[in-house]
Amino acid sequence: MNASRIHGIVLSGVGGQGVLSLAQILLEALRRSGLHALQSEIHGMSQRGGSVHAQVCYSEVPLSSPILDEGGADLLIALEPLEALRYVSMLRMNGHLIVSEEPQMDMAGYPPLDDIYAALKAVRGAHLIDTEDLARRLNHRQAGGMALLGMASRFLPIEDDIWRDVITQRFEAKGARVTEKNLEAFEAGRGLIQEPVGA
Amino acid sequence: MVQSTLALGVEAVGCAAFDAGIKGAFGYPGTPSTEGFEAVEQLIRQAQDGRVAQWAANEKVAYDLALGVSYSGFRTLVTMKHVGLNVAMDAYANSALTGVRGGLVLLVADDPGMHSSQNEQDSRRLAEFAWLPCLEPSTVQECYDLTFRAFELSEALQVPVMLRIVTRLAHCRAALARRAPLAPTGLGPVPEAAIQDWVLIPANARRRYVDLLEKQPRLMAETTPLNRLVPGTKRRGVALSGMGRAYFGQLIHEHPALAELPRLEIAAYPVDPALEQAFLAQVDEVVVFEEDYPVLEERLGLRGSAKVRGRLDGALPRTGELSPRLLKDALGLATPAGKAATSLDLPIRGPRFCDGCGHVDAYEALQEALASVGAPATRVFGDIGCYTLAAQEPMAAIHAVVEMGASISMAVGAALAGQTPAVAVIGDSTFGHSGLPALLTAADAGVNVTVMILDNRVVGMTGQQPSQALDQVERMVRGMGVPDDQIQVLLPVPKQHDANVAAVAAALQHPGPSVVVFRRECIQSIRRGLLKDHDRQERERCTTEVCS
Repeated sequence: MNASRIHGIVLSGVGGQGVLSLAQILLEALRRSGLHALQSEIHGMSQRGGSVHAQVCYSEVPLSSPILDEGGADLLIALEPLEALRYVSMLRMNGHLIVSEEPQMDMAGYPPLDDIYAALKAVRGAHLIDTEDLARRLNHRQAGGMALLGMASRFLPIEDDIWRDVITQRFEAKGARVTEKNLEAFEAGRGLIQEPVGA
Repeated sequence: MVQSTLALGVEAVGCAAFDAGIKGAFGYPGTPSTEGFEAVEQLIRQAQDGRVAQWAANEKVAYDLALGVSYSGFRTLVTMKHVGLNVAMDAYANSALTGVRGGLVLLVADDPGMHSSQNEQDSRRLAEFAWLPCLEPSTVQECYDLTFRAFELSEALQVPVMLRIVTRLAHCRAALARRAPLAPTGLGPVPEAAIQDWVLIPANARRRYVDLLEKQPRLMAETTPLNRLVPGTKRRGVALSGMGRAYFGQLIHEHPALAELPRLEIAAYPVDPALEQAFLAQVDEVVVFEEDYPVLEERLGLRGSAKVRGRLDGALPRTGELSPRLLKDALGLATPAGKAATSLDLPIRGPRFCDGCGHVDAYEALQEALASVGAPATRVFGDIGCYTLAAQEPMAAIHAVVEMGASISMAVGAALAGQTPAVAVIGDSTFGHSGLPALLTAADAGVNVTVMILDNRVVGMTGQQPSQALDQVERMVRGMGVPDDQIQVLLPVPKQHDANVAAVAAALQHPGPSVVVFRRECIQSIRRGLLKDHDRQERERCTTEVCS
């Protein structure tokens, strides 16, 4: 990573999908990696099934702005395909998009799914994950978010054991089995890209 | 290496208040201030050392509770959102005259851009209005450090101190370094000789007002060290506060030439005119970056010595929150192009009622009842809470939402102007907040007004905090003078729909005031089991005592 550059990650999805929870895991993992990191989120009415998004910035220099500019994000992690498209212009020219193919269509005027997928595939650096299939294979209904994070980890300067510690700590109150299932989902997502890509 | 815990900006304020040794914290929930109270509440619960954290019925009550703690000689924190300060304004403005005993810090969270509010008023104006100091942090760590400082200032100057933050800072999460906590140390109550300072009869108030004005130079002497003039080599400068300061600070990393601009960095008000003049002497032009109103911009502009740019001359939008992009545009900095936005039309995905929410059943009953009495086009006065979502299409069940408690009084006003039936919809917590006095008037007005109280037993929208009206709504309604035979309690579930329609229709047709309480616990609260213990205790109590 570039020492003085400010790196940015945008996370998006629908209220209740766990966008803010993923952002907090990311923030903690970056902090434990010795980086300066900030996270921004908007709560309130957005908790009620509306669009939710969070941003995480990190750098080796101290940060004071929790907000990214358009074209300032290296990574967009989206739990829902339409909610990914809203934020594509936040990405740098060479940024990456990691997105679940699983739509949440309970809203008025959802565009045809084929149009959504076509628009996503037209984005250079887009990685679509069939989280529905993955959840079925792992027998873990909520595997999607952690799998996306696992794939995203290929682009982030965070060591394996830090991810493992942070994820374990996040879920340990819910028991060993929940923790294991989430680590498994993370690894499954991580396995979808073979080599680290670097941000 | 970055250290210690992670916290939201608003939580950092709560942590600092605890560490500064407060005896009591009070507030009323409101985004984005809520987590400030919740952070200090959690620390106080863990400490188990006799301190208190108490949600209040409304912001004014919360402020007066804090003032009582201060009178008793202890430090205290009171939290609210910007519009909540309107409710507490009587207490806040007059506490400037009484002054404080123990340090009193008021956390106010403003919401520029109106992410979850009905306006974007600027609390700095209200501090100025009350002749009181206001501190304005720009990072999570500053939220902590300036809260700590605010307690010291409050006691040194013997006035309440406002700590003003905005949504972006309130909900920015970052590393936070805390100090060793102080234990609450009581100064003892207001001394005998100072009692008259706290009795604001005109003779005392006139004297205290003069005292307050005479104290202003001392206020400025304390706030000035928190403000900073950074010289530069250019004749164009920037004046910064809050997020403007945060965004500019980061831009300097990306555009090192910006460090050559002279800058006025403001973190505390009132601002010393001498500092403003010293800054203006260095520049021919200044761009002002501040959140909400053009407070600094107007002050600097009035001095007339430099061209002042910002929200008033169109260099920045007149409304809405700042962003790094707005700063760059105003400074003429280019932004490298990113990926192209999609050409697909993406409809907004707005918030909506949770699946299975009782409010939906209540509104469906109301709409059908209005149709059944031949008044389907009746304008319904709504209020602030999750149930405000009913204003959206396709439901469109409420037709006015103004401020907490307005529904009942507006419906009575409309009834007095001839509307019949007149209908108000209000939640249980909002009813306790400011619906009670409105209902007292409604019961006395002698007009046909139907008040629907949607009782979900918690403060739903802000995160299911406890409602002070819990289990007391009917008693409160009766106490306000509504006749017993005009109070109905209904269960908003689909299978009760027909019975509920008939009951609401009967209320609509009654010529005087009537109240229909729709009671079903918030779906989210049930999911979290928030009232399980409470309800079990109530059931146990009812087996041993006679209860209503």
